[in-house]
Amino acid sequence: MDTWTVTVANQGGATFDVDASRPLLETLREQGVDLPYGCRYGGCITCAAKVTSGKVDQSEQVALNNRQLKNGYAVLCVARPVSDCILEVGVESHDELYRNPFLDPLEPHELKPDIATTTGEH
Amino acid sequence: MVDVAETEMTCCGPGYASPRDAIAAPIEKLLYTVALYTGTGIQKPDYLATIDADPDSPTYSQVIHRLEMPGIGDELHHTGWNACSSCHDDASMSRKYLLLPGVRSNNIYVVDTATDPRAPSLHKIIDGDEIKEKANLSGPHTIHCLGSEIIISFLGDAKGEAPGGYLHVNEDFEIVGRWDNSMGDIPYGYDFWYQPRHNVMISSEWAAPNTFLPGFDLEEVGHLKYGRRLHVWDFERREPVQTMYLGEDGLMPLEVKFLHNPDSTHGFCCAALSSNVIHFWKDEDDPEWKWEKTVDVANELLPDWPIPLPGVMSALLVSMDDRYLYVNNWLHGDMRQYDITDPHNPVLTGQVWMGGLLGKAPVVNGAEVAGGPQMFQLSLDGKRLYVTTSLLSTWDNQFYPEIRTKGGVMVMIDCDVENGGMAINEDFIVDFGQEPNGPSRCHETRYPGGDCTSDIWL
Repeated sequence: MDTWTVTVANQGGATFDVDASRPLLETLREQGVDLPYGCRYGGCITCAAKVTSGKVDQSEQVALNNRQLKNGYAVLCVARPVSDCILEVGVESHDELYRNPFLDPLEPHELKPDIATTTGEH
Repeated sequence: MVDVAETEMTCCGPGYASPRDAIAAPIEKLLYTVALYTGTGIQKPDYLATIDADPDSPTYSQVIHRLEMPGIGDELHHTGWNACSSCHDDASMSRKYLLLPGVRSNNIYVVDTATDPRAPSLHKIIDGDEIKEKANLSGPHTIHCLGSEIIISFLGDAKGEAPGGYLHVNEDFEIVGRWDNSMGDIPYGYDFWYQPRHNVMISSEWAAPNTFLPGFDLEEVGHLKYGRRLHVWDFERREPVQTMYLGEDGLMPLEVKFLHNPDSTHGFCCAALSSNVIHFWKDEDDPEWKWEKTVDVANELLPDWPIPLPGVMSALLVSMDDRYLYVNNWLHGDMRQYDITDPHNPVLTGQVWMGGLLGKAPVVNGAEVAGGPQMFQLSLDGKRLYVTTSLLSTWDNQFYPEIRTKGGVMVMIDCDVENGGMAINEDFIVDFGQEPNGPSRCHETRYPGGDCTSDIWL
């Protein structure tokens, strides 16, 4: 079993060894990390966390747009670590997750990956 | 109209023989309102709040009981009864169970409200994963009873992709399967209402769960990720037969209500993003259903905002006497009352402000209002309108981030049923910012005896 070490920066910097093949929501909750969640299939962003260091595979996610991805967000219910990671979890990490769309619209390349233009160049 | 003989014969089941009888029912003394912690940062389950609505009670205008769901993250949203006036003549039925779907978890909680109406209890859970396995559905929304059985609209398939469909549940709350025989070419689902005497159901369109659950990206409207149609169904054949394309007038058509008179072929829908009321109807000698825009709330231009702000008319209901239509503008912050005596020509007869982004009423009865008027329920006699402020946790977080610390509120509006008019009742306020586990958000409300969005007459 491949494992990586995940640090939860905003819960006292606690570290956890997690299975690389399973979603972080499951492996962290099993070790007592209190995390929010909703749909459990990558569709609703309730469990979004910010990855401030390291890399995850969240290819199953369908909820985050490219701006949220660029800002480091991952939906933990489908994200699997592919390196050691440092995370900020819960709504404390959501400062850049939500925006008023009438005040702060997205550029065409910032939409969800399935409808975004492929590059930021116009 | 229901004739006297029929009224006398039908005496024993739930609900009322006619809308006229419903108006004369005893006034509501308890309210059931869903309250949520999903998306708030508080790691507690969503719950069903019982609110004391009896002005003679010492706990008037307070939450007197909280039924917590078994786990976190459901996002309780809309609710519906196991039985309504559609089985009024079935003495074996009673309005005992309130169904609470979790729009994110896909679970449906069946709550017993009859054993102790002040302290409802959990009776059964229809497991969200079982619904995905047996019916390939997720994202539950509207519940209506069908005589003794129940149908629930779901906005997505098991993977959260549109159009979803309708779950059929029997009176023991077992999954029968899909109710719809076909979704035709319907791209999206949301709300529905049926009018059995005309063998018709009308359904509306929000979006796929994967589109709306994470929040609102305005640009996705242009990518046709949000709906703009109403669908006419052959109710007995359980399949769509006509599409009404509303275009720019009907962006995001949400709640659908027929008039309560079971003979009527008139109904209304609110197009949330266009902030329009859509009137739909059928003339006697024409099989086609028609529609028209009857109310158009203009977007507001705000300094420094690159895009004008729409009202976001997300909900709508019709008074039991079919005289008044109530709509909200969640982002502007106003509730409106229209006289719809002529459904083609609604007349604005009342308007009040509570919350909203225009800053017209930031405080109501001493409570800071984070959010705007969103869900509302009207008393059967039409005189008391209970209004809550949360739309969906992710959308709340986008438009009203301060709701995280302030929570939602419930306001009561006194409605003048004789001359028209609305006024905020100064003796009533339920501040969900003061809940024992921290600020929660309140959504749909129902009364034990039925209300203005629960009952349909056969």
